[in-house]
Amino acid sequence: MPLEIDVHEQSCRGCELCIDICPTKVFELDSDKRLCVVKHAEDCIACLSCAYICPSNAITHTEYHAVKNFYRDAEFCQRMGKFL
Amino acid sequence: METNQQRKALQDAMVFLGAIASGTEQAIGESANSISYLAGVNLGKKLSSGVPQTRDIQEALKATREVLEKNDYLWLFEPFKTHDQDSIVQENDDGTQVMLVFRDCMIRQSLFRFGHTQKGSLCNMMYGFFAGALQNIMGRESSLEIVHAGENACYKKLIVRREQ
Repeated sequence: MPLEIDVHEQSCRGCELCIDICPTKVFELDSDKRLCVVKHAEDCIACLSCAYICPSNAITHTEYHAVKNFYRDAEFCQRMGKFL
Repeated sequence: METNQQRKALQDAMVFLGAIASGTEQAIGESANSISYLAGVNLGKKLSSGVPQTRDIQEALKATREVLEKNDYLWLFEPFKTHDQDSIVQENDDGTQVMLVFRDCMIRQSLFRFGHTQKGSLCNMMYGFFAGALQNIMGRESSLEIVHAGENACYKKLIVRREQ
C-alpha cells in the first residue's frame, strides 16, 4: 500500500510549520478553513519532520518505511561484526 | 562474538564515532567537514574499484548502491521524483541532477542515539563517498547537497558535473 498522510482537522491550528519544513511541498494552507491540508501525498518521502514539528500532533503517517534501529537489530549487529 | 556482545561493541563504536566527530567539529570548526569529506572520497574510491564504468547515471547509482549493500553499509538510498518532475534524471546548467532519498542510515542513527546534530562532518562523509564512487564509475566530479535532514529520511540533491 502507498504511504498515507492524515492531518487531523480538529487538531490543526494552521501554524504552517509543516508547510515550511516539508522539503517536497506536500502540504498547502486551506485559506478558507485556515488549516494545513495534504496536497501531494505522493511526494512525501516519509522523513516525518512534519509530524515531529507539529505542535498539536495533528499529522500521522501510515504505510511508511520506519528506519531500522540498526544497533538493536540482531541480524545487522552480526553483519557488522567484521568492523568490530 | 555473541550477538549481545556485538551489540554492545557496536554501540561503543557509535559513541566513539560520534564523540570524534563532535570533538573535531568543536576543535577545528568547518574544516572537520573537509576532513570527513576526504575520508568519504577515499572510502568511495576504494570500495568502488573494479566496478564497471558507465556514463549512465542511473546505472552508476545502481552500482553504488550495490557496493554499499555488498559491504554491509547501512546507507541505502533511492532516486526520487516529485509529481511535477517529468523524469528522475534532470539536466541543468550545472550538470545531471538526481534527487535521492536516504532512509536507513547508520550515521543518522548514531547522531540521534547520542544527541548530535545532523548536517555535520559525518553527513559530509556520505557526500565524499558519492564523489569518490562516481569519480571511479562515471569519471566525473559530483556534489551531494543535503536539501533536508529529517528524522526518518534525508533528501539530497546529487549533481554530476559535465565533462570538462
